[in-house]
Amino acid sequence: MSAFHNRSQTSARRSDYVWQYEYYDDEEPVSFEGLKAHRYSIVIGFWVGLAVFVIFMFFVLTLLTKTGAPHQENPDSAEKRHRPGSCLVDIDGPQDENDKAFSRPLLSESRSYFHFYINEEDRGQRKLKPEEKTAVKQQESFNRPREENKAERENDLFSHFNIPNFVNLEQSSNLGEEDLLYEPSVILERQAHSQDTHCDIH
Amino acid sequence: MNVSTVNQSDCPDVTVPFPIFFAIGVVSLAENLLVVVAVIRNRNLHSPMYCFICSLAAFNTIASLTKTCENLMIVLAENGHLQKKGSSETKLDDVIDSLLCMSFVGSIFSFMAIAVDRYITIFHALQYHNIMTMQRAGVILAVIWTTCGVWAVLMVQFFASKFIMICFVAFFFISLAFICFLYAYMFMLARSHAREIAALPGSMRGALTLTILFGVFVVCWAPFFLHLTIIMVCPLNPYCECYRSLFQLHVVLMMSHALIDPAIYAFRSNELRHTFRKMLLCSEWRQCS
Repeated sequence: MSAFHNRSQTSARRSDYVWQYEYYDDEEPVSFEGLKAHRYSIVIGFWVGLAVFVIFMFFVLTLLTKTGAPHQENPDSAEKRHRPGSCLVDIDGPQDENDKAFSRPLLSESRSYFHFYINEEDRGQRKLKPEEKTAVKQQESFNRPREENKAERENDLFSHFNIPNFVNLEQSSNLGEEDLLYEPSVILERQAHSQDTHCDIH
Repeated sequence: MNVSTVNQSDCPDVTVPFPIFFAIGVVSLAENLLVVVAVIRNRNLHSPMYCFICSLAAFNTIASLTKTCENLMIVLAENGHLQKKGSSETKLDDVIDSLLCMSFVGSIFSFMAIAVDRYITIFHALQYHNIMTMQRAGVILAVIWTTCGVWAVLMVQFFASKFIMICFVAFFFISLAFICFLYAYMFMLARSHAREIAALPGSMRGALTLTILFGVFVVCWAPFFLHLTIIMVCPLNPYCECYRSLFQLHVVLMMSHALIDPAIYAFRSNELRHTFRKMLLCSEWRQCS
């Protein structure tokens, strides 16, 4: 970056400056006489401003999520959103073409997809459960009252809300009951074996 | 990078020891190279999303490599093994600057591509596979790489022109605003969906994730771009001079961004982590299944 920087210096000061490798080869030193404020005031101001901006952004985002009106979960909307029978999974192998994966009826609401996606990170961070435990749990969760499930699940979900890599549809073996209740139909990546299990349970 | 020879400056250049540059360069090179190789080798990762992540890692690899080479050149020059004003050294320096510029611009483009890909994934999920096919992703990447290559050569050839520098700084701020807008929009839509659910205590984490994603980007890139702005706007002002004396720190920050990027984007993927484990722990790829 030295030439990069040096050229800009020369253009600012002299047009016939000889190119040299050193930085700040000043023949007209900047005068530091009579400075009113601290000499690093731009530096301090910039970093303070940046810190304030980042913290402000964080608080705004936090407040946005907290001030969401706490409506009770509507059973009808829950019914509408979660159709346990539709285990529409792409069970082809990893070499499957992308466009095959979407030849099935899907919900038109993007929020279900979003919930599914932001659960992906959650899945990745759970501890490994044995296969049969998972299967049993899935059966149980199916029989549980829908609202209770939903609230619980949403709680877990949002506690692991993670935007990066929410499309991270890894075929980990620790997929939880949320997948069934959630609409595992939205799969953009190939998930062969784990989804197979869920489909079988249906 | 050399120490200032200004006699009367009260703001001496802050120098960062070479071992730090080398350490950051080598570690970020290793990380990003690992990501690139993992994405290429694992067929499960041949999807548009991972292509963009791979492209980001490739640009970071180039940046780390060239920065490390430049540091090596500087060390050799200071020890007298290289001529500081020789023609081959200046040409090599030009090449290094071009590559650095290309990788900086390229990584910004890759961030934008990743943000757009995520946006399409969520809000046009039904048509995702029609909108973002592998061919289109390939075309997008080809355009990004070509644009960056051309831009870099132009930047270095015509850097004396203020117009080019203004373009560079403006590009940074525009991309920043665009990425900020996209992620904020995605977050807002998620929040509006969350209205139907009871307000949750764990919602801090989403905000934290977004803050980290965006905050790291801004903290690592903004100081350098402010530096460029200051060069254009107030080259002789003593306050500006004091800001410019921290140039090496700002470059260290930019290099650290190449170091942190894989942790934010790539390492969060289970599939990618699984691939790393396979690659690093298994001596022969085929033997581990």
